[in-house]
Amino acid sequence: MTALSLTINGRAVGPIEVRDDLSMNDFLREVLGMTGTKFGCGAAQCLSCAVIVDDGGISATRPTCIAPAVDFDGLSIRTVEGHATGGGLTPLQVSFIEHFAFQCGYCTPGFLNEGQVLLERLARDPIPRADLERTITEALDGHLCRCSGYVKYHEAVRAVVLADAGRYLT
Amino acid sequence: MRPSRREFLQWSAAGGISLSLSRMASAQTPSFLDRETLPGRGVVHPAAGRVDGVAKVTGAKLYASDFRAADLPGWPAETHHALLLRTPDASHVYEGLALDGLDASARPAVIVTAEDIAKIGLRVPAFYTGDLFCPLGKTPLYLGQPVALLLFDRFDAYDRARVFLRDNPHLKFGAETGPIVGPNYVAFRFTRVAGPDPNGPDLYSPIQEGWIRPGFFEGSGRPIWEPLPVAEGGEYVKGANFGTQIRDELAKPAASTLVLDRQFETQSIDPMFLEPEAGLAWYEPDAKKLEIVLGVQSPFEAAEALAHLVGEAQPDFRPAKIDAQFCYVGGGFGGRDHTPFPLYMTLAALYFPGKPVRLAHDRFQQFQGGIKRHAFKMRSRIGVDRATGLITAFAADHELDGGGLANYSPSVAVVGATAAIGMYDVPKVDVTTVALHSRGVTAGSMRGYGTLQTMTALEVLVDEAATSLPLDPIEFRRRNALKVGGRTMTGNPYSVSVRAPEILDKLDAHAIWRDRAAEKTRAKPGVLVGTGVAVAAKDYGTGADCSLGSVSIDAEGRITIHSDSVEMGNGIGTALANRVAGHIGGIADEVTVAQVDVFDELELFKSGDPYSITQEEQDKAAADPRWVPEISSATSASIGAHVGTQAAAEAARILFRFGLWPAALAIWGIAPGDPRAKQHGEAYWQGETLVISGLNPLPLKAIAAKAHAMGGVTGAMTHAFSRWAWAQATFDVAGESWTADIDALALRQGSGEFTRLDRKAVAFPPADYNRIGTSFSSMCGTTLRIEIERATGRLTIAKAYSVVECGEALVPEIVRGQSQGGFAMGVGYALLENLPLYEDGPGNGQWNLGRYVVARASDLPLHDLEVEILPPLSPREPPKGMAEVVMIPVVPALLNAIFDATGHRFQSLPVTPQMIKGVLA
Repeated sequence: MTALSLTINGRAVGPIEVRDDLSMNDFLREVLGMTGTKFGCGAAQCLSCAVIVDDGGISATRPTCIAPAVDFDGLSIRTVEGHATGGGLTPLQVSFIEHFAFQCGYCTPGFLNEGQVLLERLARDPIPRADLERTITEALDGHLCRCSGYVKYHEAVRAVVLADAGRYLT
Repeated sequence: MRPSRREFLQWSAAGGISLSLSRMASAQTPSFLDRETLPGRGVVHPAAGRVDGVAKVTGAKLYASDFRAADLPGWPAETHHALLLRTPDASHVYEGLALDGLDASARPAVIVTAEDIAKIGLRVPAFYTGDLFCPLGKTPLYLGQPVALLLFDRFDAYDRARVFLRDNPHLKFGAETGPIVGPNYVAFRFTRVAGPDPNGPDLYSPIQEGWIRPGFFEGSGRPIWEPLPVAEGGEYVKGANFGTQIRDELAKPAASTLVLDRQFETQSIDPMFLEPEAGLAWYEPDAKKLEIVLGVQSPFEAAEALAHLVGEAQPDFRPAKIDAQFCYVGGGFGGRDHTPFPLYMTLAALYFPGKPVRLAHDRFQQFQGGIKRHAFKMRSRIGVDRATGLITAFAADHELDGGGLANYSPSVAVVGATAAIGMYDVPKVDVTTVALHSRGVTAGSMRGYGTLQTMTALEVLVDEAATSLPLDPIEFRRRNALKVGGRTMTGNPYSVSVRAPEILDKLDAHAIWRDRAAEKTRAKPGVLVGTGVAVAAKDYGTGADCSLGSVSIDAEGRITIHSDSVEMGNGIGTALANRVAGHIGGIADEVTVAQVDVFDELELFKSGDPYSITQEEQDKAAADPRWVPEISSATSASIGAHVGTQAAAEAARILFRFGLWPAALAIWGIAPGDPRAKQHGEAYWQGETLVISGLNPLPLKAIAAKAHAMGGVTGAMTHAFSRWAWAQATFDVAGESWTADIDALALRQGSGEFTRLDRKAVAFPPADYNRIGTSFSSMCGTTLRIEIERATGRLTIAKAYSVVECGEALVPEIVRGQSQGGFAMGVGYALLENLPLYEDGPGNGQWNLGRYVVARASDLPLHDLEVEILPPLSPREPPKGMAEVVMIPVVPALLNAIFDATGHRFQSLPVTPQMIKGVLA
């Protein structure tokens, strides 16, 4: 057992005693009741379970289904529940809705986290317009969606970028 | 309108059990229903988008897998856990569990086996016939058959056991017996011979003569299709004789006739909905009440099935009341329609009394136990007149692997067979089909429902016929395309629009098809370029489709909609809101779906089987104004737009005509006798404003306030039933006779309660409409260009175009999204997905994503995938189901493109790079 402490969506959580082999996904869903982060495969193949890990100003998504919760000790993470703040949706959340990006919505938390990480990366390090579609495809390609055919997810991310091109594009 | 919670209708009294079905609702707020009433009053949401949009981008608890006991008001705080063990072996005698390897910290508190449940008097519903658990001393009926249910007090024990048992053998087996041999699930023959005059009667057809099945079977269970001259099966002989004539004609064709005789095989696949099946249940022994939370496509059926299961059980295992609650669904694609999962969820609760228990598949378990798509073996023969390019005859034999339980195998076989000639007009058709039992994982409903398999085989065959004649593939299809009024292979015409020629013209004119020769010449070195085309006509509906809906408006003009349809990603909530808005102007901010507990004022009851009822029985039953052939049906068969919105749309129409319109007249000061009072058909909505020429536009809010002040109609609740045509009934409403495509109606006036109106007359579709294969069909065509890397066989889709017709598109963006999703699923089926049927397949419990490959974004032409939705032929053309048809032509179009690129016609799925590389060597 390990006493686990971390920051989730800006709030300190723990210390909480957890089994060393408890997955991060089960920590979120079973221990904390935060079921916005989904369980899809348990094999890090669909990434519906991915959360954002903020590490020294660099953010990246990580699957939670195969990672022990104790690996997240001391880290700061963001989940789907933490994007909207102060009652307002983020531009990416709005774009997902307006583009009808998802259908059943079960994969949405993973796509939202990945898309947000991409936007933050582009804000730090803008890319040429010509590279945009390829960049989005590469960023989102690990995520599985069985309903949508992916097109609208990509359109939704692209729309956020193009709506603020000065921020995201060179 | 907000239904009072827990005031449930007693739907049935199965064995004296009070059975109620309610909508899964809020877990964290006092109002239980709020959570799944979307978008929710007061919720700020974008102007465009789905009604469930905000909930889904903020991680709200919506799905069955999200809920724990602590989320549900009134439940104990702690959740307990269940683990279903399944067999990876169906060829040896099962001799019991071997759990010795489990650490003490991972031991279950309770183990439930076949021997345990045999003592308590369960009744397995007929649809799920078969041992729920394999008994000791028997060979398992199929791979993945459950053998035991383990119940754990703590999550950690469950979790450790789950992982250990996944990775370690834990079942004992004895002597090898080989697989269990079982009878086939169904065998049918569909034969049609047109008469000399296309407008005259057929010489023979299923709709004239009834559906036929052979009376004789080989020892293996396979049917004997010859027309044996004996009394048994005599009804069969007439049709079989016509069928034999067709086959003889194809076997010895005239020189003027081209005949192709081909075999085609399709594979088993998994629906791979992203949320594995899950549920939560709590049995309160003192109150004898079972509460259960599920996510299925067929809530009414699920609740009835579990009530039947325990209806005659011993007292300790027999609830007096079952409260079943239903959630949003994380993907379905048919695989959650009539799944046995709820039966095991129920057992878990009953054997852990007083403890809320959760049963949730992980992905390995979902592969091992979830419903699969049927693998088909097909032999098809087609005859074509070389001079005219017209198809003269078609014969086919289909063999489906149904796996271990019957499930939907009989109807998948029928639907696949009756789709075997696609969108073509063929004067002589003979198709046999048999669904076989096997030791494979049970197959059942999945998007396409047999037609994906048979139309893929057909479209590959048709393409080869065109090439062989030779004739342009689209021109060949155009010459043979079914026209409006033309007959399907069961002998009836479609009763909806038939737009095959338009679809073909669109494909013909598209740049992908038009430039196919030029693109070949532009191929890069080492790359082969090919272009393919295919079309499909897909039925929607089941022949016994139901819709329950209500629409209410408050004095502030706020609209509430309730429906029994299930939201599984199909956008039904948004479609309901849009269709209702067409009648009453406003977009509802309270839409609840999968709800069947708020229609009790209709006082509906049913009797008999809607598929087999006789006309006499129906006429007699229909005399009671509360009787309907069926109350609620599964959300499947692409019925969302057509059926799922019907009851709410008709309710909205009545609400406008008898509530809002009279209120508007009152505001305008127009007396009932004024001729303008009859001009309700001339009025229309611009947003939330009612407009009619010559009068001041009126805001909805003012009209609603007036309707309430007048005590007028402010809510309507209806039920609709379709057997390839809507039931129609007449009601006296406000002194007027009102006839509509509904069979039950209740109205609310002012702020009062709903009150049922007796129908004054009703016309249910005739009982013999059950002979129709389908009369509802939508059509889709796809053309696409591929590039194949010669050295590796790697295939890339460069560009694709699909054109679909679906009548009125209630939410065009959802139609487009379904089309894109269908394209992706078609690509996976054609090129990627494959499950071995038996010991190496998912029944062994070792399958997961990674080994099973579905289409990712990089497999698709994301920025070159064009979808065209044809506008409705008329403003009066109703919505048509389209979620399945959009997937079908993608598959044969890919195979036809591969032929165009390589010169090789593959006759099995999936076509992998290795296979392509092999034929290029």
